[in-house]
Amino acid sequence: MQKPIATTRSATGIPTGRLAIWWVLASEVVIFGGLLASYLMFRLGHPEWANAAAVTNTYIGAFNTFVLLSSSFTAVLAHQAAENGDGKLAAKYLMMTIAGALIFLVVKAFEWSYEISHGYTITSNGFWSFYYTAAGLHAAHVIAGAVIMAFIAADAARGRELQRVELIGIYWHFVDVVWIFLFPLLYIAK
Amino acid sequence: MAQAATVETHGHEAHGQGHHGPEGILKYIWSTDHKIIGMQYLFTGMFMGLIGGLMAYVFRMQLAFPGISVPGFGVVSPGEYNALVTNHGSIMIFWVAMPVLIAAFGNYLIPLMIGADDMVFPRLNRLSYQIFLASAILILASLFVEGGGFGGAWTSYPPLSANENYNLTRLGSTLWLSAVALEFVAFLLGGINFIVTLMNARAPGMKAYDIPLVAWMIVIASILFMLSVGPLMAGAVMLLFDQTLGTGFYDPLRGGDPILWQHLFWFFGHPEVYVVLLPAIGIVIEIVATFARKKLFGYKIMLYTAVATGVLSFFVWAHHQFVAGIDPRMANVFTVTTLLISVPIAELLFVIIATLYGGSITFTTPMLWALAFIAEFLIGGVTGIFLGASGADIYLHDTYFVLAHFHYTFFPIAIIGTFAALSFWFPKMFGRMMNETLGKIHFWGTVIPFNFIFIPLFVLGLGGQHRRIYNFQNFPELAEMQPLRIVATVSLIVMLLFQIPFFYNLFHSMRKGPKADRNPWRSNTLEWTTESPPPHGNWPPDQMPKVYRGPYEYSHPDRAEDYWPQNLPN
Amino acid sequence: MPGHTDPKGERHGAQHPNYKKIYFVLLGLLVVSVLGPEFGIGWVTLITAFGIALVKSSLVLQNFMHLRWEKRIMKWMLATSVVLMFLLFAGVAPDVMKHEGHRWVNDAALAATARGIEAPHHAAGDAATAEHAAGSVEGEAVAAVPAEQTFDAKNAYGTVCTTCHGPAGAGDGPGAAALNPKPANFGDAAFWASRTDDHLVKVIREGGASVGKSALMPAWGGLYNEAQARALVAYIKTFKK
Repeated sequence: MQKPIATTRSATGIPTGRLAIWWVLASEVVIFGGLLASYLMFRLGHPEWANAAAVTNTYIGAFNTFVLLSSSFTAVLAHQAAENGDGKLAAKYLMMTIAGALIFLVVKAFEWSYEISHGYTITSNGFWSFYYTAAGLHAAHVIAGAVIMAFIAADAARGRELQRVELIGIYWHFVDVVWIFLFPLLYIAK
Repeated sequence: MAQAATVETHGHEAHGQGHHGPEGILKYIWSTDHKIIGMQYLFTGMFMGLIGGLMAYVFRMQLAFPGISVPGFGVVSPGEYNALVTNHGSIMIFWVAMPVLIAAFGNYLIPLMIGADDMVFPRLNRLSYQIFLASAILILASLFVEGGGFGGAWTSYPPLSANENYNLTRLGSTLWLSAVALEFVAFLLGGINFIVTLMNARAPGMKAYDIPLVAWMIVIASILFMLSVGPLMAGAVMLLFDQTLGTGFYDPLRGGDPILWQHLFWFFGHPEVYVVLLPAIGIVIEIVATFARKKLFGYKIMLYTAVATGVLSFFVWAHHQFVAGIDPRMANVFTVTTLLISVPIAELLFVIIATLYGGSITFTTPMLWALAFIAEFLIGGVTGIFLGASGADIYLHDTYFVLAHFHYTFFPIAIIGTFAALSFWFPKMFGRMMNETLGKIHFWGTVIPFNFIFIPLFVLGLGGQHRRIYNFQNFPELAEMQPLRIVATVSLIVMLLFQIPFFYNLFHSMRKGPKADRNPWRSNTLEWTTESPPPHGNWPPDQMPKVYRGPYEYSHPDRAEDYWPQNLPN
Repeated sequence: MPGHTDPKGERHGAQHPNYKKIYFVLLGLLVVSVLGPEFGIGWVTLITAFGIALVKSSLVLQNFMHLRWEKRIMKWMLATSVVLMFLLFAGVAPDVMKHEGHRWVNDAALAATARGIEAPHHAAGDAATAEHAAGSVEGEAVAAVPAEQTFDAKNAYGTVCTTCHGPAGAGDGPGAAALNPKPANFGDAAFWASRTDDHLVKVIREGGASVGKSALMPAWGGLYNEAQARALVAYIKTFKK
């Protein structure tokens, strides 16, 4: 499909794709914000949840934080490569980012199966309900982001639509930022 | 704007091959043309409006003649009554008002009004409609599953909505919630398209204050929606888990809190009413300026007031919860903010009235609808003030007074606004004129009965009649007001019958109406400079319009003509 | 568009920060935020955990997402969405976070807190978590409260059961008018003849449907544990005629 003339215009000076991604982020901030604000209200109002929170493994959480931070690093390197016109290098860095996403998800899978097998399920109590819901919503965004990133990497490797590397990168960094807040909320605050 | 000039040539080359959309029936599945997508939203929304209206017919028949076998439906059981009332509300707000006012007219008008050839993300646009259509199918499906449709009110308060032992509609409640969530996703995606298109894709020369206000209003509404729906999305996920997984987010027995849902819902629910109001006001502005042949009284006032309304709308939500058990000190705060918000809204109406003053008015069908909007919405707004004061609300909450108030606001917004917009832009959309006589018959046959439906409801509400009750004959002190209920129901039936001339007018004029030229109303905005209906791409790629002035230069003293299109160099 | 040059020429070349340096700073901050709670001091944990989260996210936003060089309008929009979240919290927390206020009390939430959650016996295989449980930030770990010491069955009945079962257990509470079948009448000898204590504990904790009776009798097991339910059964026996 040909791009409409409209897509190429930029009365604000911000390219349309990037403008759109920022608006997507604004809407995601209020979605996660709503969920986390609700969690915070319950958590602060129910000191007994500390017992449930004690179970989460801080080191696994920290490792996953490290993984996501590193994947953000590779994502921004991909952006740098794309800006220099090097589609193949950008694709390589994007694939590394996707690898980071996969590691994150695999670690989470092990973490959750351990917790579930020990009886800490989503219905165990309020803390666990929020734990699985918040981390689950986050993980869904990780999966969606990784899938889209794969398509963009495929295009970039062929030198096409390189401006999208930056856009998926911005989305990816946001997913990282959400986790930066989830980590202390779910793992450190005990 | 040099950059735009460079981009124009690029665009011209891109379009050099004379790009056409898909043809035939496939056009409606695969087209990414904003006009086609706009029509899809329009007709889906109107169809859902019919369904919502028929639901109202059924439950109003039950209320007026309790126990009757309603023609076309049968006897209404209490569970069915609840499902009808719930889905009437949900459908009218989410599947009629929003798709028609925002998605249909936003899609159709915004690219045309800013001189663009399409939305900036046409495929995302198509996806948004398809997700919306899926949500519409889901909500309709929810009515036919085992257990019946969800009956817990459009506000869906837990524990009733969360616990299938209470709501008795295990499948219906989950489908209902999923439909609403999916509709939110569709409008989030669509909103991004509108916002980015307006911000970026304007014609060369079109500065921010040259944008027609209806386009601004739709975009401001999209922003309001986007920022307010997030917490409710989170809340809906939590409610979905309560319903299906047995979590206890809202279950006090499990450490949850039902009030949390209420807050999350109304944090969205209140801005939502301005999400639908602002586009309707935008539509009225376009019509009034055109048919009063007068420059809008205060463009910037309107714009900034609309923004102020949007901002303030985030500070008033708990006025829906005055008697829910919120802290009374919060109630004080919300009373003040609620009464405050009436000021900018009144301002919006004053500016429209000031525009009319001294104008050269023609009472075409669109103009009649626009004037009716002002009169009816005024009543709705004023009665809202009674409800915004927490003291009065203690008596009035959950009575028919509330119901009449919000119908006096929603009906002008969703129904009058739709008819106004349709009758105004019909010539552009279909290249033909609608019949004025039928239009006027439809107008009077809708507006007069409307008042006879809802004024009795104000009286009933003040008399203590509560909402969501299946049969008022069970309440001796309310039973004697039955004649008022019958008046309301009969008026509804009359109003529904008067929609027949409208549908006849609509479908007949589409094919056989007198041909319309480009600008039958002699209006200024860019959509009237192209053919009726506009071709794919709206203008030939080398003739994309440039803008030289604002949209409301009517009856300019230096000019012989009483209008001055935006795209004329002089 | 390959190698796209932004027409206004902004944000290229000179405006790339040293990504590697930022990355290592982020990792360093991560280490600090993990070590902070080890000290077991409340405000230290608060600063290292949440303060650092703010710093880290700011670094990612400004540098990786290039917000520092972005047009002001987008910074305003993002700031607005964040501010709205504070507004949401401010407006809702007085009702949801706090469990009592101006002439209202949230009995269910207070009961949930008093009931507590049992501390885990095996803290997920690492000693650090056990230490966290001991010196928790949010307050002392609350163990389950033994029912016999603090549970007031009469008070609980008055708060929770009276509505349907009536103040004297006759099944004639105000809510009973709308119910069919009517709630159980604890004064009725025939009722007691056909029920065991165990059966009644099950009904209280798992609801009427669990024993093939009306689902309108809710499951109160989330509020009352086994011992508390037995205390309630003991109390309603006093209605026996």
